[in-house]
Amino acid sequence: MEPKICNINDPECHLDRIRGWHGDLEANITTLIKNLKDIREHSEEAKTACSTHYAKTVELTKAKTRFTYEVSHELKAPLASVYNILNVILDGYLEKDIKKQKELLNRAKVRINDVIKLLNDLLIFSRLEEGTGEIEMEKINIDKILPSLTEEMDIYAKENNIKINWDIPKKLPYIYGNPELLRRVFVNIIHNAIKYSNPKNTVKIKTKEGKSSFLLEVKDQGIGIKKNELPMIFNIFFRGENARPEHKKEGMGLGLSLAKRIIAAHGGAIKVKSKLNKGTTVTLSFPAIQKKEK
Amino acid sequence: MPKEILIVDDDPDFVETMEIIMQGNGYETRTARNGEEAFKKVKEKTPDIILLDIMMKTKTDGIWVSEKIRTEKDLKEIPIIMITAVNQDSEMAKFHLGQEKDMEYMPVNAFMEKPIEAKDLLKEIKKLIGGPK
Repeated sequence: MEPKICNINDPECHLDRIRGWHGDLEANITTLIKNLKDIREHSEEAKTACSTHYAKTVELTKAKTRFTYEVSHELKAPLASVYNILNVILDGYLEKDIKKQKELLNRAKVRINDVIKLLNDLLIFSRLEEGTGEIEMEKINIDKILPSLTEEMDIYAKENNIKINWDIPKKLPYIYGNPELLRRVFVNIIHNAIKYSNPKNTVKIKTKEGKSSFLLEVKDQGIGIKKNELPMIFNIFFRGENARPEHKKEGMGLGLSLAKRIIAAHGGAIKVKSKLNKGTTVTLSFPAIQKKEK
Repeated sequence: MPKEILIVDDDPDFVETMEIIMQGNGYETRTARNGEEAFKKVKEKTPDIILLDIMMKTKTDGIWVSEKIRTEKDLKEIPIIMITAVNQDSEMAKFHLGQEKDMEYMPVNAFMEKPIEAKDLLKEIKKLIGGPK
């Protein structure tokens, strides 16, 4: 704006000019106050975002610490038993009892095998958890996985005095996935059903086909899961009260959390319904890519 | 009568090998697989010493047993050796129990971390209750 030129003898004109400056100054101050308010608001937002982030980081660190602890525990306990077994034999406590020595060494072998299995599971777990590791996927026919499991599962069921009722059609759909990981999931879910059944129970296994999905349902009449424990069953190393070692149920509490991650990586879902002392039904669903193809 | 050791652990292999070692050194043994069973057995017959695994995965763990024993007038003097699998077990007890528990004030006589060297454990037992006879 052009500066106003006033005659030296025109006080009104000068007053007008001064009034004009005053107005500009007032407008500037108002803008300044507004800017300061904005800054304050932004800094409040930043502070809130920062503390939320901080709380999350603390939670994650805690979860990580706990995870490391649980893993060291799960690895160290069996190794400590193997160490004891070897010491007992090396120190000559069983010198005259070769049969017992052999029995203990066989148990040491089983425990070491458990540790190796756990390490393998942990590797898969971390690969899936990070989401960085690519899982090799291919078009697979469920026909190639499920029927090959029946014999192995029937044997395990028989050992536990459980009967499996298979209701699986001859033709099954194709899904997109990793056969080895899927097999692991199916084995884990069926194993659980048998392990947590009572003797003489029946485990019912059936498949269903939706429009674009494939469902596998595994239903047992076993010990079930407590209502308050249901939300935690997918947590790593979680074991329900009924599933703890004193009830002679082996396992580490890794299977289900691993299964959930594998299923999620396949774009599928896992649902668990359970009633204490009545049984548990686990339903797995996967997107099917083609219906009943040969 | 030889002195008796109550071995408490949820790992059956650990319990059995400990029994072999202790019996091999002249002690008598009884065993329990969780806190509740351990406490029941202590009440039935007082052992001379308890080897108590911290057993974080059982409902009634080692901490529960040791606290329970220390509140009973007739039992509170029984020596207890607490066995932990991982040295941060004590720290983790806080996590598991969801409350502040300071292990320095845990009512036990000694702590030992797995894996256990038999000779160290026997030395500790001897220090607390003497030899088997």
